[in-house]
Amino acid sequence: MAIDANQQPAAADAGQQPTADTGAKKHVPTDYKRDLKPVWCTGCGDFGVLQSIYRALAELDILPEDVGIISGIGCSSRLPGYVNTYGFNSLHGRALPIAQGLKLARPEITVLAVGGDGDGISIGMGHFPHAARRNVNMTYIMMDNFIYGLTKGQVSPTTPKGDTTVSTPFTSIDSPLDPVKLALAFNVSFIARAFAGDLKHMTDMVKSAIEHKGFSFVHALSPCPTFRGMDEFKRIRAAVNYVEPSAEELASKAAAFAREEEFVGKINLGILYRAARSTYEEETQLVRERSLKSRGRAPQMQELLGEFMP
Amino acid sequence: MASKDIIIGIVGSGGDGVITAGEFIVSAVSSEGLYSFLLKSYGAQIRGGESSCRVRISQNPVESQGDELDALVVLSWSDYLKFEHEIDLHATTVIVHDEEDPIPDDHVARWADHPTYRIPFKRLAKEEMQTVLTKNIIMLGSLIELFGMPERGIQHAIDKKFGKKSPGVVAKNLEALACGKRWVAENIKKTDDCFLEYTPSEPKLVMEGNAALALGATVAGCRFYAGYPITPASEIMHWMAQHLPAVGGTVVQAEDEISAAGMVIGASFGGIKAMCATSGPGFTLKAEMLGLASMAEVPMVIVDVQRGGPSTGIPTKSEQTDLMQAVYGSHGDSPRVVIAPTDVEDCFDTAVYAFDIAEEFQIPVVLLSDQFIGQRKETVRPFPVDRRQVYGRVKPSEAELVGYKRYRLDTPTGISPMAVPGMAGGQYPASGIEHNEVGDPTSRINLHNAMTEKRYRKYKYIVEKYSFVRRYGDDDASVGILAWGSTKGVVKEAVARLQAEGYKVGAMIPQLLHPFPMEAFDQFLAGKKRLVVAELSYRGQFLQFIRSRCTITAPIHHVARPGGKPFTVREITEALREVL
Repeated sequence: MAIDANQQPAAADAGQQPTADTGAKKHVPTDYKRDLKPVWCTGCGDFGVLQSIYRALAELDILPEDVGIISGIGCSSRLPGYVNTYGFNSLHGRALPIAQGLKLARPEITVLAVGGDGDGISIGMGHFPHAARRNVNMTYIMMDNFIYGLTKGQVSPTTPKGDTTVSTPFTSIDSPLDPVKLALAFNVSFIARAFAGDLKHMTDMVKSAIEHKGFSFVHALSPCPTFRGMDEFKRIRAAVNYVEPSAEELASKAAAFAREEEFVGKINLGILYRAARSTYEEETQLVRERSLKSRGRAPQMQELLGEFMP
Repeated sequence: MASKDIIIGIVGSGGDGVITAGEFIVSAVSSEGLYSFLLKSYGAQIRGGESSCRVRISQNPVESQGDELDALVVLSWSDYLKFEHEIDLHATTVIVHDEEDPIPDDHVARWADHPTYRIPFKRLAKEEMQTVLTKNIIMLGSLIELFGMPERGIQHAIDKKFGKKSPGVVAKNLEALACGKRWVAENIKKTDDCFLEYTPSEPKLVMEGNAALALGATVAGCRFYAGYPITPASEIMHWMAQHLPAVGGTVVQAEDEISAAGMVIGASFGGIKAMCATSGPGFTLKAEMLGLASMAEVPMVIVDVQRGGPSTGIPTKSEQTDLMQAVYGSHGDSPRVVIAPTDVEDCFDTAVYAFDIAEEFQIPVVLLSDQFIGQRKETVRPFPVDRRQVYGRVKPSEAELVGYKRYRLDTPTGISPMAVPGMAGGQYPASGIEHNEVGDPTSRINLHNAMTEKRYRKYKYIVEKYSFVRRYGDDDASVGILAWGSTKGVVKEAVARLQAEGYKVGAMIPQLLHPFPMEAFDQFLAGKKRLVVAELSYRGQFLQFIRSRCTITAPIHHVARPGGKPFTVREITEALREVL
């Protein structure tokens, strides 16, 4: 144990290894598996999402130490504990602020935020549009099980109206929100939907999201057999509709919205919208450059004190 | 009789430029090497409305805003009436006002003995300068002649403020300054003796507490700042936005207070020193994040620039009523450190300490400032910014990264080496859920016991290393005064005043509030027969807090009143006299 007097941990100081081709073998999904048994129930969709993250990281061959997975609170938010990367199981609804803080402070780290529907569009909803408008280069995977699972089955913001839950014994009277439509409204620069029952497709979606430059969102349908019944998987599987929009359609929010409205009872899976925009990291770098230009050069600390001279 | 220490108050409506005038005086006297202390007070209006300032000027260092005004300059009596309860006059305070706006009828008799000068500020501005906007500069010019304000310094301040705009603007303002000075010289026969006498010396700095605090954080290595606008803390964000990018840092205006705190925790988790600043209501919103930083042992600095409360309270005025939430706010047993700056310069130093403690002990640190320190301007002697050693975070060694235990229990200080993303072998899940040594969630009570004890173990070492207190007066006095934060200035001055009268008094102002520096407090208490405790809290949060830490047998004279108006030297002196 050593006290490090160096106040600023530079990337090299922090043990950063070059990721360039060193002749080492590529990573395999199990390299990302952490030795802790998930708390999830048998048949939970979250297992599929977890597997897709292992596979996507392996296929992208990202060093485990260069990844940070940040979550809020809920069944799905337990996920960081099962991945051999840096992780943070934080506060209910607050994955996005912590994930953005990490990404902006350490842009070279691959940052994923994960959590559930209650975490993301109920208690933590206020952060979603702002992460989107900043276009921080990170990925947000919302594992939607249409229920509060960890607290044992209350109605969630995505539970269909009319469903009976422990907190709506005489059926839910709230209309559900659709995370994809919200993401479109928030101007998220990459939006995809995937289903835990199709691991191959979900892996592709997570991978594309991580590869996207900017704030990417994956609406991961992750059924909860415990509180929503064993048939939920079947119901979703029967409704899925794989889409592969053309490049032109992908760039159109109107087309994406229309597609979501088009088939009642169908669930579109695939990349639904994608746009190229500058990231917050790029913009903050420009701010630094403008600031330096206005001063001529980076100031010494003593000079900053000197600015107070009348 | 000329004076080496005078206090001038200026009152007007928002558009009158009285705050600008006060700032010019502070700049002027500081560039002449004198000391000054500027307090501003506003109404709640966004633009316009009433505004006032009081500036104390002295040949010698000043500790506080002082007592009564020596001179009162009023540009508008209707605005003055809104501040009447904040402005104390002595028997011969000089009164200066615009001739177009006569003294209110009910004040005429009361103020019959005050030397009074009527000056046509508005008329001169319109007739001589062709614009009423120069009214405050004409007023400044009159103060040069009336009270000996340093002319050269004011000219320098005008040049510095308007020089970038255009030479014409500077010339126009200098002309207005000369106009005010000339009118007084030609038309007023001075009947009072309020006149500044001074010897110029080395120029000094003019700092506000909020900016000094932001600079201290930057010097300590803070490179990430997230904030949300809130009075009276926003100037910290403004300074950071202006300066942090140039040294490679990042500033984010977050969508809310919670997000700002979350971003700070995220950045710090990434190994970068990070801070957020707010005021009371914002601090309450961050309370859950404070618990997270305690539990996940993530270094974090949260500034609370206190204002009148509860709820929206009085955002533009000071109070010392966030102590309880700083020490106890949040859920569970959540260790945190609370330190309080005592003046503007101390904002710089305590910001450095805050980062040292946060980083070394992996604990959230609350820097408890207030509006009185944060928004006032003070003359500060230049100092080397690297005068304090900056400490960093304990990182795992190569050996410790094999089978790495982020929250290992067997450390004497409770500090477990903290890996940061990018460090191979250091991967771990941080969590707000109770965890074992490697970070896995647990609900086992033996681990909860051990981890809670580990998190609190740090306190002993923090007190040993950072037991900062300020002591003034006589160590062996039988009468003592205990206060904290911004009350330091008036306490120090009151003690000096009583010592000059031959009394023995001792004062203690702890900067480290929590964990409480018990040993230093015991030393202070030794031999004390009577105590005064002074705080701007009606409920008496400070004394309640102290009493929760120890038993004080000496009788206590408790001066506990709501904030809004800071304590005066006289108030503290009188309180001490009662027990002397």
